[in-house]
Amino acid sequence: MMRYVIIPVIVFIALVAAGHSRASYRETFEKEFMLSPWAIAKGEISACIQCHTSDSMDPKMHQLVREWRGSWHAKNNVSCHDCHGGAPEDASMSMMHQRGFKGSPENLDIPGFCGTCHIAIEKNYLHSGHGKTFLDTGEGPSCVTCHGSHDIQRASMDIINEHLCSQCHTYERAKEMKQALFLVESKLNSIDKNLKRLKVLGIATERQEQAFFRNHAEFRALFHSIDVDAVRARSSDYTQKLEEIENEINESFKQLAFRRNFSAYLFLIFIGLSIVVFLLSKTYEEDKK
Amino acid sequence: MWERITHWIEVRIGLEELVNKHLRQFRTPKGATFWSTLGFVTLIAFIVQAVTGIMLLLYYIPHPEHAFNSVQTITNEIPYGWLFRLIHNVGGNIIVAVIIMHMVHVFLRVSYRRPREITWVTGVLMFLLVLLACITGQLLPWHQTGFWQTTVTSTIPAFLPVIGEGISSYMRGGEFVTGITLSRFFSFHVVILPVFIVALMFLHVLLIRRQGLSTSPLIEPETETTPPDDFKRDAHPEGQPCFPHFSLKRLFMVMVYFAFLFFILTFFPNIFLPPEANIQADPMTTPESIRPAWYFLAPYQIIKTIPNDVLGISLLVIFSFILMFWPFFDARDAGRNIRKRPMLLSLGLIVLALWLIFTIWGMYS
Repeated sequence: MMRYVIIPVIVFIALVAAGHSRASYRETFEKEFMLSPWAIAKGEISACIQCHTSDSMDPKMHQLVREWRGSWHAKNNVSCHDCHGGAPEDASMSMMHQRGFKGSPENLDIPGFCGTCHIAIEKNYLHSGHGKTFLDTGEGPSCVTCHGSHDIQRASMDIINEHLCSQCHTYERAKEMKQALFLVESKLNSIDKNLKRLKVLGIATERQEQAFFRNHAEFRALFHSIDVDAVRARSSDYTQKLEEIENEINESFKQLAFRRNFSAYLFLIFIGLSIVVFLLSKTYEEDKK
Repeated sequence: MWERITHWIEVRIGLEELVNKHLRQFRTPKGATFWSTLGFVTLIAFIVQAVTGIMLLLYYIPHPEHAFNSVQTITNEIPYGWLFRLIHNVGGNIIVAVIIMHMVHVFLRVSYRRPREITWVTGVLMFLLVLLACITGQLLPWHQTGFWQTTVTSTIPAFLPVIGEGISSYMRGGEFVTGITLSRFFSFHVVILPVFIVALMFLHVLLIRRQGLSTSPLIEPETETTPPDDFKRDAHPEGQPCFPHFSLKRLFMVMVYFAFLFFILTFFPNIFLPPEANIQADPMTTPESIRPAWYFLAPYQIIKTIPNDVLGISLLVIFSFILMFWPFFDARDAGRNIRKRPMLLSLGLIVLALWLIFTIWGMYS
C-alpha cells in the first residue's frame, strides 16, 4: 500500500520544488549545448558577420561571407578582423581606424596585407619575378591572383595550372616548376595524411607535426621565389628532412601493428582458455549425472 | 617438490579447510547458469580496473598543464603503457555493460525480493557509484572529449530544483570546468569512490554468502512463494558445490570477459577514444560534436526531449530512486516467477526498450 502513496508524493514534491528553481546554469546550458549547433566557429560571433549578412547589405557582400565560410582561413579560425583589423566584438566601433580597422587594401598593398602573417612568403615573393613585375607595373600577379581573396583554399600543386598561369605567360615555365616541386610536394601530402591518421589512432605526433610544419612552411616560402633552379637545388635537402619524419611515422605504424598483434594474441589465448574451461565444466556436470 | 610447497602453505594457512568451508560446502542452487556469474565477473572487472588504474597512477600527473602530456607519455613512451591505458578505458565501459546485464538478470529472476532487498539496494548504489567513477575518470586525461563531456554532464544536475546548481558548482569547483574540477575529479576517481565501492562490494558479497544464492523461480517455484519471517540461509543441499562446478562457470565467464576485452582492443581499440580524445582540452574551442558516453545517452536524450527540463531531471531522479528501492515497491504477496507476472515483465521490458530507444536516439540526434 505504501508504494502507492510514496510515488505520487515524490512526483508532487519534485514538481512543486520545480517552481522554485533558479535558472542561470540551465540558461547557459540551453544556450550553449542544447539549442545552439556545436559547429559555430568563434569567428562567427562578430559584428562583421552580423552586418555583412544582414538584409540591408548589398548581396555582393553576402557572397564575401559565404566564400570566407568555405575557406581554409575559416577552417583555421582566421576571421575577418585578423586581416582587416577593427573591433568585431563592438558593432559601433568595429570599423573605426582608432580600433585598427584597415578595410580592403589597395592593389599595391596586397602583399603587405597578406604578409602580416605569411612573412617569409612575402619576402621571397617580392624578390621573385612575380613580385618585381607587380611592383614595377602594378599589374603582375599578387597573392589574390593565384589564391583568391576570400575563398582561399589550402595551397596545393593544383594552383599551378594552365588556365591560371597562361593568363600572363606560357604554361611551359610553370610546368617546369611543377615538376621540380613534385617529389617534395608528394612527400608533404603523404606525411600530412599519415600524421592525421596516427593522431586519430592515438599516437602522439606533436614533435613530427612541428618538424613537418617547419619544413612545409620553408618549402612553400622557397617556392614563392619562382626560381626553378633554387627549388631543384634545395629539393634533396627537404626530401632528406621529410624522409626522417617519414621514418618516424613508419615506426609509429609498426608500433600500432605490434599493439594489434599483441592484443590479438591475448584474445586468442583467452578464447582458447574459455573453451578449455567450458569443456571442463561440462565434464563435471556429466560426472554428476 | 610441489607437495612440499603445498604442505608448507597448508600448515601455515589451512588452505584446505578454507576451500572446503567457503567453496565446497557453499552450495549453489539448481539452475544456477552462466548468467548467475555476472556478479563475479563484475568483481573481476573491478579488480582489473583497480590494477590498471594503479599502473596508470604511477605516471599520471593530475594537473591541467601536465595531465594530457602525461597520458600521451603513458600511451606512447612507457613500455606497454598503451595496454594498461586501453584496458582501463575499454574495461570501464565493459564493467557498466556487465552490471546492467547483471541487474536485468536479477530483475527477471525477481531475486531482489525478501530477504534480499539490501543486496539489491547495495548493488544499485554500486552501479551509481561506478557511473560516477566513469564520469570522473573521463576528465582525467584532459582531452577535448573528456573536457566537453564533463562540461555537459556536470551541467545536467543544475536542472534539479533548489539543490541542482549547488551540485553542479560543487562538481566543478566553480562556474566552469577548470584545474579545480580536475583535482576534485581525480580525488573522487582514485580514492573516494573506490573506497565506497569496495565497502559496498564487501557488504554485497557478505549478504550473498549469508543468505546463499537465490534459486531460479522457474525451477523451484514453490520454495520462495512465501518469504520467510525469520533469517533462513538457503543452503541448497540438493544443489552443486560452489567449487568446482559453479567456480568453473565463473571462470569460463571471466575468460569470456577477457576475450571480449581483447577483441575490442584488437579490432576497435579507439572505439571509446574519438579523434578529439587525442587533442588537449581547450576551453576556447568547442568540438563539432559532443555527446556523453553511451551509458549517459538515454538520460541526456530524455532531458533534451522533454520540453520542461526540470520535469526531465525530476523524472530521472525519481526513476533512480524507484530503481534503488524497487524491492520495497514490488508487490509483497506476488510470486517470483516472472512468467506468471505479466505486468512486472512488461514494466521491465518497457523500461529496457525505452532506455535502448533513447540511447540510439541520443546517438544519432
